[in-house]
Amino acid sequence: MYTSITNRRSFIKKMALASAMTAAATMFPGIIFADEQEKNIPKDADLDWKKGPCRFCGVGCGILVGVENGKAVAVKGDPSSSVNKGLLCVKGYHQIMCIASKDRLTHALVKKNGSYVKTPINDALDLVASKMKQTIKNHGKDSVAMYTSGQSTIPEGYVASKFMKGAIGTNNLDCNARLCMASAVAGFLTTFGADEPMGCYEDIDSADYFITWGNNMAEMHPVLFSRMLEQKNRRDAKIIDFATRTTRSSTASNKSILFEPQTDLAVANAICYEIVNNGWVNTSFVEEHCNFNKGLTKMGYGLEDNYKFKDKPSKISFEEYKEFLEDYTPEKVSKYSKVSVKDIKYLAAIYGDPNKKVVSYWCMGMNQHTRGTWMNNLVYNIHLLTGKISQPGNGPFSLTGQPSACGTAREVGTFTHKLPKGVVTNEKHRRKAAKIWKVPYERIPSKPTYHATEMFRAVDRGDIKFIWTQVTNPLVSLPKTSRYKPGMQKESCFVVVSDVFPTPTSDVADVILPATWHIEKSGLYGNSERRTQHWDKMVEGPGETTDDAWMTIEVAKRMGYGDLFPYSKENHVEEIYNEYRQFHVGKKHNMAPLEVLKSQAGAIWPYVEGKSTQWRFNAAYDPACDNGKDFHFYGKPDGKAVIWQRPYEPAAESPDDEYPFWLNTGRVIEHWHTGSMTRRIPVLHKAVPHSYVELHPEDAKKMKIKNGEKVKVVSRRGSCILPASVNERGLPTIGQVFVPFFDENMMINDVTLDAFCPISKEPDYKKCAVKIIKA
Amino acid sequence: MKKRLGIIFLFALLFGAFITIWNKSYHQGLEEAYIPIKKDNIINELPSESKVFTRSKHALNYAEMPVDAKYQRSLITYYNNRAYPGAPPSIPHEILQDGIVGGNSCLKCHENGGFVIKYNAYTPVTPHPEMTNCRQCHVESRTKTLFKGNSFYKKTPPKVGINNALLGSPPMIPHALQMRENCLSCHAGSSAPKEIRVSHPERVNCRQCHVPKDKEIKDLDLFTRAN
Repeated sequence: MYTSITNRRSFIKKMALASAMTAAATMFPGIIFADEQEKNIPKDADLDWKKGPCRFCGVGCGILVGVENGKAVAVKGDPSSSVNKGLLCVKGYHQIMCIASKDRLTHALVKKNGSYVKTPINDALDLVASKMKQTIKNHGKDSVAMYTSGQSTIPEGYVASKFMKGAIGTNNLDCNARLCMASAVAGFLTTFGADEPMGCYEDIDSADYFITWGNNMAEMHPVLFSRMLEQKNRRDAKIIDFATRTTRSSTASNKSILFEPQTDLAVANAICYEIVNNGWVNTSFVEEHCNFNKGLTKMGYGLEDNYKFKDKPSKISFEEYKEFLEDYTPEKVSKYSKVSVKDIKYLAAIYGDPNKKVVSYWCMGMNQHTRGTWMNNLVYNIHLLTGKISQPGNGPFSLTGQPSACGTAREVGTFTHKLPKGVVTNEKHRRKAAKIWKVPYERIPSKPTYHATEMFRAVDRGDIKFIWTQVTNPLVSLPKTSRYKPGMQKESCFVVVSDVFPTPTSDVADVILPATWHIEKSGLYGNSERRTQHWDKMVEGPGETTDDAWMTIEVAKRMGYGDLFPYSKENHVEEIYNEYRQFHVGKKHNMAPLEVLKSQAGAIWPYVEGKSTQWRFNAAYDPACDNGKDFHFYGKPDGKAVIWQRPYEPAAESPDDEYPFWLNTGRVIEHWHTGSMTRRIPVLHKAVPHSYVELHPEDAKKMKIKNGEKVKVVSRRGSCILPASVNERGLPTIGQVFVPFFDENMMINDVTLDAFCPISKEPDYKKCAVKIIKA
Repeated sequence: MKKRLGIIFLFALLFGAFITIWNKSYHQGLEEAYIPIKKDNIINELPSESKVFTRSKHALNYAEMPVDAKYQRSLITYYNNRAYPGAPPSIPHEILQDGIVGGNSCLKCHENGGFVIKYNAYTPVTPHPEMTNCRQCHVESRTKTLFKGNSFYKKTPPKVGINNALLGSPPMIPHALQMRENCLSCHAGSSAPKEIRVSHPERVNCRQCHVPKDKEIKDLDLFTRAN
């Protein structure tokens, strides 16, 4: 089965050696066995270990890939990486096995009369370019779109942005990071005016408390969670899991506090109420470094097409803020959040104690939220009020889901409103981009167009007539695929899909372009802690597989923009990175030069005078602070961070008599997002072969549903049949069900709702109303 | 006369106070007699997940525990003591008192282990100390003879060193997890069979890297694609 190890003879030899060792070991019982356990594993002396970041999550572990005779045969954690210190998770260890999948896309496929025809890659790229050109000619620039990924490498994102915004001149570029990180970005920009966390993973080594907000880190950020568990064991650091569902993380934590979906907004405000009313406010910090703002409320949920919203911030006084908090006494909040008054006060007391260092972690629970931006703001409020920010072991830390959601989507800016530096609405930023790209500045349009959800609505409406997706599988990952799948199948839109494996998205493509996978190309990723990591190509891709960046460049060349993309095929990654670095020159965002990234397991930006900046905004660590004070929130013009007045508002859809359950969706440790890679890895597929719906045992008992029995999850949008899971991996609260979304055969996103945060435009995958029927 | 009145008044006061206090305490007594009806405890426990961590407080001790080569258990003795892989082991030592319950006796040694001079061995640690009716499943072996011959086929136990998919990748779990969710109890410490004693017990979150090889659920469909 494991044909990735092609040098069979040497492998068999090694296995023979291994079994001989096992036999020998059993014969000599006196021998100390730690050695023999190691000996069972064939010696890897003849392997060539190549450095890189892991392909999967935003933690960004350093990996070493063992290459033998041009094939990747083993993976181990990079001991020199400060992120993971040699440890990986089960996905990381087995990642290279997916490229040996038998259904690998090795050649371009063009749909002719309803079936796919194997086509030389050059002809396929010709077709894509001519189709794109013709569509622009017939329907205008805004009729073509590109949808990329937080798993795209930095060069891939950069050429996509340059191609769409600089060459063609349309802002029809968005990416799947809109589905996972947009609220985090909007949260950072509204509070600090500068994106990405101020702290780094080193915080784990000195924090006294880890408070995780709706974040199952044991499964989703396992390596960081191991680091936390290590601190828990060695230093008695405490982990507090604040969530809507009991998970592996809850069981490993010191305390698990459950809350009713959407009420995190209220609980966060109640914590602020306690901090303010118990005199736990760090007054000198707040006076010197914070402003108080309020924004618009009752924003809606973006459920209708062409929904528009723009927040109108206005300054308020501390007294007004204090008055606003009166609605959020622990007693009032406890009633609808189902968190006890005691627990709210407990949380507040931890944040409020000046002698305790606290790190807050969160990821999709807070970001995939119809008030995601607000929720991010509220947690920053807690840290700002107490001054627990930008110091080792103290700070809010927004974790990323994808390996380069930070590096590519956020820093390069593959969103409709973004440029590699700044936003399209800002003339100065447009001029800067135009200058580096060597294009006329008028060509970059000043108006953002479609964010992810709206982009696929536009495809459905027929406004977008050409779409090219790269490194992503939207027809599994979008919310309410029950609308967007038929939308993409319509004749009105020409669909180009670049991928490594066939997916439900490539199933509706007119042209499928075969992409090289991770280690088959060179690239750069940027992880959650602002660490940029480089890797060199390790093995050859099969057939006519081509790097995603190079395919974009080839199409651009064919459309007559060759002079803007003067890169060489062999060295384009380095040439592009060096060009891109010019955007971020300066103490606030300088990127490490390539030779540094090649010599070590990544570097954290701002990389100033040969040093990574681990804690931004803190004058002791960050050379960009220049206001002469201890802290400088230089993202904002007046150097002050913003404490936001953000109320509690209900979810877009709550359970009612007809649809009595909350539906929450998410991941499991074994599978990565839509499973197109991990399901092709035998170890991972065997461990979790299919999706399931988790029910609380009481609910299951009431409905007489047994473990493994098939049930139908039905919403107003669609339905999905899955086996029930009772008391297995996770335990939802009564009245809630949970479904992992990786399974393309059990499409739970047909059921989910495409409501999104009006500020960040990030959909809420965690809350909608469903009913459960025995299937 | 005055004196007498004073005494009567004092007694009247004491009596009044007695009545009041008695009355109050009587009513309090009544209140306490009321037992509030409690809602059934909502299950908030995830056995398959939480047990991985139940012994994690000992992880650092496990990491430092030296290997006592002379008294190590081996997988052979481990499986010899079971009717088939996954069967509850039988009790290999004599039990002096009968009618004892696990909590008072078995767990004394088998909850946390330790060296027992009498048996010249380290006590194996149970992965499920919350189940105290030990001898429901674990029985003595008092005779070597059989009532009638038996040709039961004993499945070959899973082998060590062949459960990893790639060179050096973390081995998969080759056995079922039911009642064996607590990895550290068998895979760490002096009583762990030497072949399966983990070199890194301090990592605690075992299933971050080690996943079950054959999950005991019915495969619904193979993961197949339409085209």
